Amino acid sequence: MKVEDVKVCILIIEGTNCEAETSQAFRRSGASAEIVHLKQLLGQDTKPEETRKLEDYEILVIPGGFSSGDYVRAGAILAARMKSRMEDELVQFIDEGKPVLGICNGFQILVELGVLPGIESIMSRYPTASLGWNDSGRFECRPTLLENWNKGKCIFTTKLERGQIIQAPTAHAEGKFMLPKHREKELLDTLKDNDQIVFRYVDAEGQIAGYPWNPNGSLFGIAGICNSEGNVFGMMPHPERTYLGIQQADWTRNVPDNGDGKAVFESVLDHVTKKF
Amino acid sequence: MEEFSSEIRFVSLLDASDDDMVLLSDEGGLALDLAEMKRVQEYYRGKGREPTDVELQSIGQAWSEHCCYKSSKVFLKEYLLSIDTPSVILRGDAGVVDFDEDHAYALRIESHNHPSAVEPYGGAATGIGGIIRDVLCMGAQPVALIDPLHFGPLDFPHDKLPKGVKHPRYLFEGVVAGIRDYGNRIGIPTVSGSVHFHDGYLGNCIINVGCVGIAKKKNILKNAVKTDSDVFILVGGRTGRDGIHGVTYASVELTEDMEEEWMGGAVQLGDPITKEPLIHTCLEAAERGLLNGMKDLGGGGLSCVVGEMALAGGFGAEVNLEKVPLKEEGLQPWEMWISESQERMMLAVSPEKVDDVLHLFKLYDVLATPIGRVIKDRIVRVLYEGKKILELDLDFYTAGPEYCREYTHDTRYLEKPEAIPEEPEDYSKTILKLISSPNIASKAWVIHQYDHEVRGATVVKPLQGKMGYACHGDAAVIKPLEHTFRGLAVATATNPTFSELDPFRGGMSAVDEVCRNIAAVGGFPDSLTNCLNFGNPEKPDRLGLFRETVRGIGHVASHLGLPLPSGNVSFYNETEHGHVPPTPVVLGVGKVPDVRRCITSDLKEQDNPIFLIGDTKNEMGGSEYLRVFGGHSGTVPNVNVGMLKKSLHAVFRAVNEQTIASCHDISHGGIAIAISEMALGGDVGAFIDLSKTERVPTSVKMFSESNTRWLAEVWRGKEDRFLDIVSDVPVRKLGMVKGSSVIIADSNVKAGIFLEDLSEAWKRTIYDYMGGTP
Repeated sequence: MKVEDVKVCILIIEGTNCEAETSQAFRRSGASAEIVHLKQLLGQDTKPEETRKLEDYEILVIPGGFSSGDYVRAGAILAARMKSRMEDELVQFIDEGKPVLGICNGFQILVELGVLPGIESIMSRYPTASLGWNDSGRFECRPTLLENWNKGKCIFTTKLERGQIIQAPTAHAEGKFMLPKHREKELLDTLKDNDQIVFRYVDAEGQIAGYPWNPNGSLFGIAGICNSEGNVFGMMPHPERTYLGIQQADWTRNVPDNGDGKAVFESVLDHVTKKF
Repeated sequence: MEEFSSEIRFVSLLDASDDDMVLLSDEGGLALDLAEMKRVQEYYRGKGREPTDVELQSIGQAWSEHCCYKSSKVFLKEYLLSIDTPSVILRGDAGVVDFDEDHAYALRIESHNHPSAVEPYGGAATGIGGIIRDVLCMGAQPVALIDPLHFGPLDFPHDKLPKGVKHPRYLFEGVVAGIRDYGNRIGIPTVSGSVHFHDGYLGNCIINVGCVGIAKKKNILKNAVKTDSDVFILVGGRTGRDGIHGVTYASVELTEDMEEEWMGGAVQLGDPITKEPLIHTCLEAAERGLLNGMKDLGGGGLSCVVGEMALAGGFGAEVNLEKVPLKEEGLQPWEMWISESQERMMLAVSPEKVDDVLHLFKLYDVLATPIGRVIKDRIVRVLYEGKKILELDLDFYTAGPEYCREYTHDTRYLEKPEAIPEEPEDYSKTILKLISSPNIASKAWVIHQYDHEVRGATVVKPLQGKMGYACHGDAAVIKPLEHTFRGLAVATATNPTFSELDPFRGGMSAVDEVCRNIAAVGGFPDSLTNCLNFGNPEKPDRLGLFRETVRGIGHVASHLGLPLPSGNVSFYNETEHGHVPPTPVVLGVGKVPDVRRCITSDLKEQDNPIFLIGDTKNEMGGSEYLRVFGGHSGTVPNVNVGMLKKSLHAVFRAVNEQTIASCHDISHGGIAIAISEMALGGDVGAFIDLSKTERVPTSVKMFSESNTRWLAEVWRGKEDRFLDIVSDVPVRKLGMVKGSSVIIADSNVKAGIFLEDLSEAWKRTIYDYMGGTP
C-alpha cells in the first residue's frame, strides 16, 4: 500500500502528552496519523461519527506521557483499561502482524499489558518484565545515545545498521528495565537468542556505560525491546524528539540532515507499505 | 426580583464604628483597611441594607492587592503600561503579541511565593497550574515554562533558622519537585529559569513561574463575555475548601502563626491529570469556534472571574451557585464563591453551542457545568437554591481602590565607603571558587528533573554543548509551529544584589540581561513580561524600591520599544525578620527568523578567534565576586540604552549572518566565568588576553558584571565580515579557542585552569547539597 494510505492510531487518555509530536513524526514521513481517545475505540460517550475501530488502522502507537497520572505504577491504569475492554481486538491486531509502538509511557503500558517482552504468547496474563524506578530516584531528562543491537527482527529499526548509534532523549522516572530476579539470566538469554533486544544505552565512545549515559540503571543497558515476532516494540527514549536534525542535543556543533529518530518511523512505514 | 435567602447571614455594617469595622475585616479575613471598609459602608448606606457575608467576602477578594494592584497601578501606568507597539494584540490574563501573519504568541509570569514558603511542593505545582491557565484562556497552546527561583543560602545553619521558617534546602527540593511533577505531567516543557541564593530570601522564598504560548489569531479569545445571552460554563476540577483566602493572605505579611491556617485551606491542591485534558479540550473548543470568551479561575475564584468577564463584555451576570460541582459536602455558599480550587476555567458560550461544548468535554472526561448566564444589567447576582445571596453593582464591585501611597528613596548605600578586596594572589583559585558558588555553579540537578523536550519543539536547550559536557546557555529557543522555521527565544533575568543597592540600575540591568541573552542565541527581543517581588508597600521605603525598579525597567524597555503586555506584582514578601531584596524578574521573548541559524554558548573549534563585545567598567557593586570574597561598592552596572540598542542589532545580525560559532552573555562572575562556561560546554580550552582592554585592575577585567557585553567565538575566515557588522559597537579580539585549559592573561598575571578542574568545581556544588551524582 501507499504510505499516505497507512493509517496510524495514536492512542491517548488523560495524561498522555506526547501525542502531537508523535503524530507529527508519522505525518512528516507521509502517513496518515490520527489522535484517538481510548473512549473512541470503546464507543463510550461518542457520537457515531466519533467512534473508531482498531482494526481500521495499520499501526497502533501509544505515545509518551503520564497516562492517568502514573500515580499507581507507570502505565498500569491504561494497560488495565485496555486489557479489560479491548483485549481481543488488541491480540487480533498483533496476531495479524500489524505494528504496535510504545514510546516511554507507551513502553511501560506495553510491558504492563504483557505484550512485551511477549516471549511465550502474544499477551501474557501477567507482566513478565518491569520498568522500575530510575537508580537515581529522580525523573531524568537528558540526551542519550542508543546502539542498535537488533539483528533484523524488529521492524522498527530496519533502516539502521546493526551497531549504529543514534541519539534520542529520555524523560522518565520509571525506565529501569528489569526481569524477575529468579529468572533474570534465563529470560535475558532468551531475549538475546530471540533477537528481541533492540536498543542499548552507550556512551560517546559507543561503549556500554553507567550513569548518566545509562540514565536509569537498566539491566544490560536495555533501552528498547521488541516481541518475539518483531512487530511490537517499546523504547524509553523518544525518537519523535529527534526526528529533525535541529532537535538533536548537539546540532549546533554538527548539523545532521535528518534527526536520528526518523529511522524508527521510516522503518515501520517501509515495512507496512511492503507487507500490506 | 428574587428575595434574599432567609438562611443567609447579614452582617451589621451600617451602624458599625471604626473599631467594629477593623474587627470585621480581621475576623472575616477580608484584608481591607479602615478607609476601604468605610467605602463599603457608604455603599450599603446608599442601598439602605446590610451586606451579606458572601458580599463582604467578594469585595475583600476583588479589592485585594493581589486582584486590583491598588498600590502598584499608579507606577505601572506611568512607566510600563505606557509602552505600546502595534505588535501587541491583546492585554488580558496573558499578553498576546504578533508572531506571523496567522499566529500570535502569549506570555505571562507571576509569583507563587507565599504558598511555596508554607508548602513548597503544592505551592510551586499550583503556580505552574495557574500560569498555564493564564496563557490557555487567551486561546493559546502553552509551549514553554520558565521558572526563576530564589531561596536562602543552602548552607544556612539549622540552629539559626528563625522559628516557623523552613530550611532553604527543604524549600528548594520541594519547589523543584512540585514544578517537576506538575509540569512534566501536563506535557509543557520547562525550558528556562534561574536559581538564586541570598540571605534575604530566608523567610520568603521567591517562586516565579512564567509561560509562553502560541495561538492561531482566529482563535484568540478575550477574557470576556460577548453577548447578553452568553451562558457561563464552569469546566475542569471540582470546587473545594482548598485555596480559600489565598489572595487576601497573599496581600499581607506572612507570620508564624498564619502557617496553620494556610495548611488548613489557603494553599490549593494541584491535579495535573485534570489539567492535561482540560488544556486540549479548551483549545479544541476554541478551534471549533464554540467559545465566546474564556478566563481562568485563579485568585478570588468564581467571585472574581464572573464579575470581570461580565464587566469586560459590558454586561452583568447571574449565577446559580448550587450548580457548582463540589469536592466535598457542606461548603458554605461564600466558600464556593471565593474558593481558589485549581484546574478550573470559565467559558462564555452562546446558548445554541452549549450542547456541543458539553459533549466535547464529556468525551474527554472533563467536567463541564453551566452555572449561570449573562444579564443586561451591570450587576452580579448570586442565587443559592433559588434564593438571592449576593447582589452587587459591578461598577462598585470591580472598581477597587487605587492608591498613590507614600514612598521614600533611600540612597544611603552610596555613602558607605567602597571596600574592594586586594587583588587575589592566585587568580586560578579565585575563578575556581567563584565558579563553584551556588549562584554560578551548574544547575543540572534542577534542569534534568524537568522535561524540557516534551512537545519536541525545544531547538536550543537549557544545557548546551558536546554530549556529556553541556553547560548553561543564555536562552532557549522553541520552534512552535510545524510549517515554519521561525522561532521564539525565551530568557529570564533578575539581579537582586544589584537591585538591593540601586533599584533603578537593578531594574535596567534585568532588561539589559534578558535582551542580551536573547540576542546571544540569534533572536531579537520582541516583548517582555515581569514579576515584581517586593516587601510591604504600605512601608514607604519598600514602595520607594518598587518605584525605582519600575522606573528602571521602563527606562530601558521604552528606549528599546519593548512592550510589557502582561505582568504581575507580588508585595508583602516579608516577615518580622525583614523583607526580600527587590526582585524584579524579567521574562523576555525574542523572535528568531530561522531557528536553523541559532547558536549556542559552547566553544566549537580550535583556533577560532574570540572577541569581546562591549566595554568592561569598574562597576563592582552587587557583583558575585564581592559577594563571595567580601567588600562593598555602591557602583552597580549602569545601562547605556543607546549602546544597548546598537549592540543588540549588531549581535543579532552577526549571529544570523552565521559569522559567530558560539556566543555567551557576560553576567554573574564576569568575563572569567563566561569564558569558562563556554570552554566547559565545548570541552575545549581557550586563551584570552585582557591586557589590551580598559585600564582597570585585573579583578575588574575578569569579574566585573558590566552590562551590554558578550563573548563571541567567530568562525575563522569570517572575521572581516563579523567586524564589519559590529563596527559601531566596542569590540576587541581577546584570544582564541585553544588546548585543554582556560588561560586568562593580563599584563603581569595569568590564570590557567585545566578543564577537568574547572568542570569538577562547576558541576558538584548543588549536587553536594541536594544529593545525587552529577
